[in-house]
Amino acid sequence: MSELATLARPYAAAVFKKAKETGATDKWSKSLAFLSAVLQDETLIAIVDNPKVSGVRLLVLLLDICEGQIDNEGANFLKLLVKNRRLALLPLIARLFEEFKAEHEGYVDVDVYTAYAFTKEARQDFASKLEKTLNKKVHMKISVDKSLIGGVLVRAGDKVIDGSIRGQLQQLQKALQ
Amino acid sequence: MQLNPSEISDLIKKKIENFDLSVEAHTEGSVVSVTDGIVRVHGLSEAMQGEMLEFPGNTFGMALNLERDSVGAVILGSYQHISEGDTVKCTGKILEVPVGEALLGRVVDALGNPIDGKGAIETKQTSPIEKIAPGVIARQSVDQPVQIGLKSIDAMIPVGRGQRELIIGDRQTGKTAIAVDAIINQKGTGIKCIYVAIGQKRSSIANVVRKLEEHGAMEHTIVVSASASESAAMQFIAPYTGCSMGEFFRDRGEDALIIYDDLTKQAWAYRQVSLLLRRPPGREAYPGDVFYLHSRLLERASRINAAEVERLTNGKVKGKTGSLTALPIIETQGGDVSAFVPTNVISITDGQIFLETNLFNSGIRPAVNAGLSVSRVGGAAQTKIIKKLGGGTRLDLAQYRELAAFAQFASDLDESTRKQIERGQRVTELMKQNQYSPMSVAQMAVSLFAANEGFLDSVPVNKVLDFEAALQLYMKSEQTELMKRINTAGDFSNEIRDSMKSAVETFVKTHSW
Repeated sequence: MSELATLARPYAAAVFKKAKETGATDKWSKSLAFLSAVLQDETLIAIVDNPKVSGVRLLVLLLDICEGQIDNEGANFLKLLVKNRRLALLPLIARLFEEFKAEHEGYVDVDVYTAYAFTKEARQDFASKLEKTLNKKVHMKISVDKSLIGGVLVRAGDKVIDGSIRGQLQQLQKALQ
Repeated sequence: MQLNPSEISDLIKKKIENFDLSVEAHTEGSVVSVTDGIVRVHGLSEAMQGEMLEFPGNTFGMALNLERDSVGAVILGSYQHISEGDTVKCTGKILEVPVGEALLGRVVDALGNPIDGKGAIETKQTSPIEKIAPGVIARQSVDQPVQIGLKSIDAMIPVGRGQRELIIGDRQTGKTAIAVDAIINQKGTGIKCIYVAIGQKRSSIANVVRKLEEHGAMEHTIVVSASASESAAMQFIAPYTGCSMGEFFRDRGEDALIIYDDLTKQAWAYRQVSLLLRRPPGREAYPGDVFYLHSRLLERASRINAAEVERLTNGKVKGKTGSLTALPIIETQGGDVSAFVPTNVISITDGQIFLETNLFNSGIRPAVNAGLSVSRVGGAAQTKIIKKLGGGTRLDLAQYRELAAFAQFASDLDESTRKQIERGQRVTELMKQNQYSPMSVAQMAVSLFAANEGFLDSVPVNKVLDFEAALQLYMKSEQTELMKRINTAGDFSNEIRDSMKSAVETFVKTHSW
């Protein structure tokens, strides 16, 4: 895993630099998301991994699939990946691209798990408080998880803020051992 | 202890009342691979070098390799239950072990958990295992002795409080025996001892503990055990654990003695961990920082001045210096001291006690090679009377060694050469000492005095030890006052010399051996 990230990073960095220059980060973000979704399809993975399928045929196929979804630069990038046999890295490249983008634009993607759905005001209030603690703008993705029993659990990258009843019960269990 | 159900629920209630609930914020990662006790963790972007990591199942690990996308860590203890995808948490702390007086008399593992079946250890204090050694300003020179209790060592290679004296030799040359004798001899001196067993057979460790118990030396001793069956990570951290336990006493103005038995095996364990972490191997496949591994450990053995003790205890202990004396042990292969680890540790320590197989097999036990053994700082710390009386011993032995080889070929020797050889033979004989029978300063002084004053010259070589035993017995029963005076004064005055002389003369006249 770590080795793959090392391989993917230069591609992601190059794409991001290019996207920043042309001011097309959002467009690239969409293209990369689409591409990585395509490359996670099982039938396509089988074709990519098949040594009998030549690079040229693969490229024609991929460009056909992506018709209308990616622009000229995107197609060139795809050509480069096919030539270097690095198509498998695309999901990772997309992820790293998003990380670069988030860092550049000064926000963090945050996964919030709550036991009960937020009301609109509570959501706003929570977002502003979270922004204060993390010192960055947040893009929240909220999902309801009943197993938390109560409270919230926040995941921002590696950072985890556990304010759930489940987490507190686990703490208590450890303390009583 | 029997607890009834209501008591248990009271206990739990109390614990819950005192339980401090906090919103937990931590960094998480997930296990990518587990190989031979080494885990690779993805994530943990905020992990620090040497930080303790929490794995599922109350298992802890230590972060050793911080890479761009992953962290390499060793698991402390068993790793069978850890699998790919498990969550790993940062704790924000470096590994800590319990320290304190409560550990004395106990056998613990490398994490400070008791393994002697005597119940939990009642101590609240903990201390990180990796600490920076005291600085230059905090130190004081070594000028008080640690009595090892062996004539050959205390007379020729004295060890001072705060010194690091290496015990080096092949297997089966009595390295551990010297260490155990040193611990036994600290009974009643106030010096606390820590015996760290690394990579040894459990049976050997049990033997040492039993011997210490038999001689009443366990009361002032902590045994830290990382046996051969424990993971390499445990063997690697055990010396640091022991050192932290010793530093507790040093920092409170007391004296402590720590024995690392042995650092060769620790270097092996560290080599294993490093290779599995894919650090580049160097000479003898050891990693590049194997020197630092031992230097940072041995640098922590030191004597600190009263001001530092006062600072560390917040003014509770005044006017007392603290010391941690280290006796690291290194096992050589075929007497080769130029291997990587032995040369490293020789250069770090303040001298070495060199033990030889040849001497051991020819019956000279302890098998100390007087020519190659040195103590670079102990001279200043040596008891005055031993310094005066033992000064000649080294010279006698050196001259004897030089002549002994030559005398094998020469048929007739002149009078002075013959005398030197005879003296050398007797001194060599006198340096022999049984295991588990350490001697007091006065006892040593009497033996050395007898040799210096020529009382041994008329004794046949094979009767020297008998003569010594009889002399010691006589001094103990008939000259109790004198012995007590020597032990308390520790000085060699004319008056003491005269009384010793008359005592030995009386013995020679009136006793047989």
